[in-house]
Amino acid sequence: MADQTDGFDPSRRELLRYGAIAGLAGLAGCSQTDGGDGGDGGDGGDESPTGDDTPTDDGGTEGDGGDGDGGSGPYRIGMIDSLTGSLSSFGERNQRGKDLALSHVNEVGLDGRELAIQVEDSESENQGGVTAAQNLVNQAGVPFIIGAVGSGVSLAIYESVVQDTDVVQLSQNSTGLGLTDFPGLLRMSPSGRTQALALSNIIAEDGYDEVAVTYVNNNYGQSLADSFTSNWDGSIAYESPHDQEQQSYSSLISQMANSDADAWVFIAYQAGFTTMVNEIYESGYEAQLYGADSVRADSVLENTPEGSMNGMKIVTPSAPVEQENYQQFASAFQEEYDREPTSWAAYAYDCVVVAALSILAADEFTGSALNDVVRDVTRPEGEQVTSFEAAAEILQDGGSPSDVDYQGVSGPIDFDENGDPSGFLQVLEVQDHSYEGIDFIAG
Amino acid sequence: MPPLDFLASPLLGYLAEGLVYSSIVVLGGIGLSLVYSIGGFANFAHGDTMTVGAYAAFVTFGVVGTLGGGVLGLPLGFFVALLAGAAAAGVVAVVTEYVVYRPMDTDRIGLLITSIGVAFVYRALVQWRFGTDPRQYAVETLRPIDALVPYGIRITVHDVAIVFSAAVLVTGLHLLLQYTDFGRKMRAMADNPDLARVSGIRTGRIRLWTWIIGAGLAGAGGVFLGLYNQLTPRMGFTVLLVVFAAVILGGIGSVYGAMLGGLVIGMAKQLMPALTQLGDLLPVLPAGFGIPIGIEYADAVAFLIMVLVLILRPAGIAGEAE
Amino acid sequence: MGWFSSPRDEWAALSGIERSVSGGLAVVSVLLLLAVVGGVVTPAYFVFLLGLGGMYALLSLGLNAQWGFTGLINFSVAAFFGIGAYGAALMTGRTSPIGLDVVPVVGLVVALLLAAVVAVLIGLPTLRLRADYLAIASLGLAEVVRLLALNQENWTNGSAGVRGIPQFFAGWPVLDGLPSALPGFRVELVPGSPFFLETPFYTAFLNLVVIGAFLAASYAVLRRAHRAPWGRLLRTIRADEDLAEALGKDTYRYKMQAFVLGSLVMALAGVFYAHLNRFVAPGTLDPITTFYVWVAVMLGGSGSNRGALLGGFVIVAIREGTRFVDGFGAVPIGPGPLRLLAIGVLIILVMRFRPQGVLPPQRELIWPGTVDETPTTPDAGVREARGGGDE
Repeated sequence: MADQTDGFDPSRRELLRYGAIAGLAGLAGCSQTDGGDGGDGGDGGDESPTGDDTPTDDGGTEGDGGDGDGGSGPYRIGMIDSLTGSLSSFGERNQRGKDLALSHVNEVGLDGRELAIQVEDSESENQGGVTAAQNLVNQAGVPFIIGAVGSGVSLAIYESVVQDTDVVQLSQNSTGLGLTDFPGLLRMSPSGRTQALALSNIIAEDGYDEVAVTYVNNNYGQSLADSFTSNWDGSIAYESPHDQEQQSYSSLISQMANSDADAWVFIAYQAGFTTMVNEIYESGYEAQLYGADSVRADSVLENTPEGSMNGMKIVTPSAPVEQENYQQFASAFQEEYDREPTSWAAYAYDCVVVAALSILAADEFTGSALNDVVRDVTRPEGEQVTSFEAAAEILQDGGSPSDVDYQGVSGPIDFDENGDPSGFLQVLEVQDHSYEGIDFIAG
Repeated sequence: MPPLDFLASPLLGYLAEGLVYSSIVVLGGIGLSLVYSIGGFANFAHGDTMTVGAYAAFVTFGVVGTLGGGVLGLPLGFFVALLAGAAAAGVVAVVTEYVVYRPMDTDRIGLLITSIGVAFVYRALVQWRFGTDPRQYAVETLRPIDALVPYGIRITVHDVAIVFSAAVLVTGLHLLLQYTDFGRKMRAMADNPDLARVSGIRTGRIRLWTWIIGAGLAGAGGVFLGLYNQLTPRMGFTVLLVVFAAVILGGIGSVYGAMLGGLVIGMAKQLMPALTQLGDLLPVLPAGFGIPIGIEYADAVAFLIMVLVLILRPAGIAGEAE
Repeated sequence: MGWFSSPRDEWAALSGIERSVSGGLAVVSVLLLLAVVGGVVTPAYFVFLLGLGGMYALLSLGLNAQWGFTGLINFSVAAFFGIGAYGAALMTGRTSPIGLDVVPVVGLVVALLLAAVVAVLIGLPTLRLRADYLAIASLGLAEVVRLLALNQENWTNGSAGVRGIPQFFAGWPVLDGLPSALPGFRVELVPGSPFFLETPFYTAFLNLVVIGAFLAASYAVLRRAHRAPWGRLLRTIRADEDLAEALGKDTYRYKMQAFVLGSLVMALAGVFYAHLNRFVAPGTLDPITTFYVWVAVMLGGSGSNRGALLGGFVIVAIREGTRFVDGFGAVPIGPGPLRLLAIGVLIILVMRFRPQGVLPPQRELIWPGTVDETPTTPDAGVREARGGGDE
């Protein structure tokens, strides 16, 4: 009898104890989270209401207005990044760029206030991204979101959460073509279409008329490959998707070799591409290799033998490396993190700066007001500036958004009517087993 | 068609690649089958045990260095690291057995679920310590063996080392099982544990050593997988399903079934490119004929083969009917 | 008997663990309600999370019908979830390669039909196998489904997925425009901390209504089935299949029925997901969903519908709770491995210390009419009845 239950007869005290623990766990799941950001921490300017009755620092001014702020706390925006999951290495680079930008912005300040960024993890998955967006939009109530990494995730966030609201969404890393269909969804990385076009031009110029193509089987790879094949005038001897995290790509490589094409195009992520390069080398195949930006990484150079990628040409969206502001950015980055910045860090940097400029230029801190100005601060009308400080000066002197043309560290930006930036590409060639820039292409 | 043409076709190349890949799957599969026959449950942590072995070898190799010398393109230090990796995997498995599985009072299915949790723990710890960036063993990447290239076989001496080492280990296990006292006792326990205990066999000790051997083989498989490809925290998990398919196909609980299953599944995956070129490869079929299944379906085909075998023989090829 | 007529008796009749869980739930509910009222948690986000919890609860219910009732180790949960989602998406999505434009209810019917068909296809070769084989085979076949969804662009748009899926109530006379049409309210119960009931809240609330309806319907059907002779037979199969066969029952047929039923419930959750996210991609079929649902069922109590429901909500709490841990700078482990570690340790602890889960089935397996109350410890022991002392 007594064994039928588990000998468990809780007193009221135990009941309360379990309940409290469960309640805390549940509450933990629902409450605001604070990612690493520069402008928050212990200062009393935090505008999130506490559970007790003391009014916030704002002194009880209007206090409402939906997304409006109360007066003296930091401007809080959101960021959705791939902190975990398959794209987490991009997320890491983004965070570095964003942290650097945050410190630069807050050195100058936004009308005496700071910028705070609440970072949420998309887990490199659509569902994770949507939940993160729900948190930021419906719980934290931010009017501006920088997100996400991965075209599929960005689209999911937009269609599921952001589209029906006023919130501005600016993706830091999405090259898939689908985003062009949504003018409300901005992005800092150029559409893959420019890359695909550039690749096909380069290969044709090099004298090849037959190619073998492989692409990673996700939104990014597929849309880039589609764009490439539609732009390519010659013949496609072989085309096949591949999955990430395979133990061996020997079937793929041998099929490419059997296709008799001498130019092989790779739209792949670094880990998979490393395996492919090693496979090519170990099988003794020779071919002229071409790649999209995702194949480029120092880890690829480290994990492949000398001479394995000799002469490979890679097209990557790039910062204009000869420009002064990029060099300043690069040296500041080097000082802070002891390594060279990647374009992904540069994109994240520019996203933060553009967000900050929009806040300065807008009439109020609401989604619709920010939406009105975010494109104008980067468009070619107005004075060209290359740093947040200079742009802020113009705006704070009473300038309007179209008086400013922010030239980013990742390129001129210049959002078009589809929310895409003008692409600025760099062509790299692998020489002596390292990446050398050989050309620039303006989008 | 003159026979030399056939030899120059890619078919031999696919078979060679299949042999190399199968070696790794076989090493994983044997361990899985051993654990199943003696431990009594399907161990979902087996793939991550391979990961543990691979990373342990990575660390050892970094500490020990190459130590000069070597065979088949692999320095002596690598073989030391291989042993260390296998040993580490064995130790981790034994500790897990004592801490987690043995005190549990649940059936086979409960242990299966628990092993999923154990797999997550292994993976999380590896990822914590090493991060998600892929690593490689510090051995040179080699060119293919020149003598074999005209036959369409493009493998390196490292690949030969993998096949050779796997063969040595498998042969060693076979000898152990068939010709030693210990092996006899293991087989007795697998057949009928109660009878074995009654007839005086120290089942506890046998069980312990089975865990060590099974996990050790998995660790070795992991090291070779790392050599063949690269090291990532998810490496063992991604190969786990293939290993399971091989073991189930061969009949879970049967070591020889696992060997056969590993060979079949490994070959099947690497022979996928041949499907679209069947007409060109086999003189029997008309040229240009091909089954239009792309290589992206390699895993799917492997599973379907497994299911097909199970329909025909529900216990697997060499498995015992329940 | 009943909660309304004699609540005190009902409470006394609950077992200890049931009381703890009820108490815990009551406390959590009160705390969450306070949080919403106090403006700490916005109503829209809270209701969204509830909806997500409901979805996992529905998935757990489906798995419970297969594992809890019948003892089938089904590792293809993600496949049926995905089939439900894709069925709804392909019928109603704007970018669907099929190019129809039908009301979501039609999509629901199609999704369920598709799930039933695939369930039979997967069940045919696998249900005759013994338990551990069934596990691997179902996992493998689920991977086949995922690879098909990923690679067959002409059927599913491949990795681009299907977008532009309408809300579930699109096309309904009143409910379609309701969230935007309803007036917004600003409620300030705690001074200085207002909360808002506006369009996002109404949308989330409507979604909650949908999943609530799905849950209620599935729970009712499953509960009835569980108590019926059919359910008893399934439990016999779970406990001892040979015995059931010896009794002359065609166990294969019953297992197939349970398998299909469970798969339908899982597909229902997938349909909800499609209309919640409005975007479906092959990542939906990732096997990690299968493992989460298994943890939910084991945690909640295998064999018990209530346990499955509880497990579903708890798993969402854990997943979103580990998000919160990212904010702890003090913890030296990164959020990715931490989440993995936490789930792994949780599984091990649950299986070690409470393998039957928090709420294993108890009285719920018995028709209310057959037994008046739980058997209780008698007031008087045998010795006492014979005239001895008290306990």
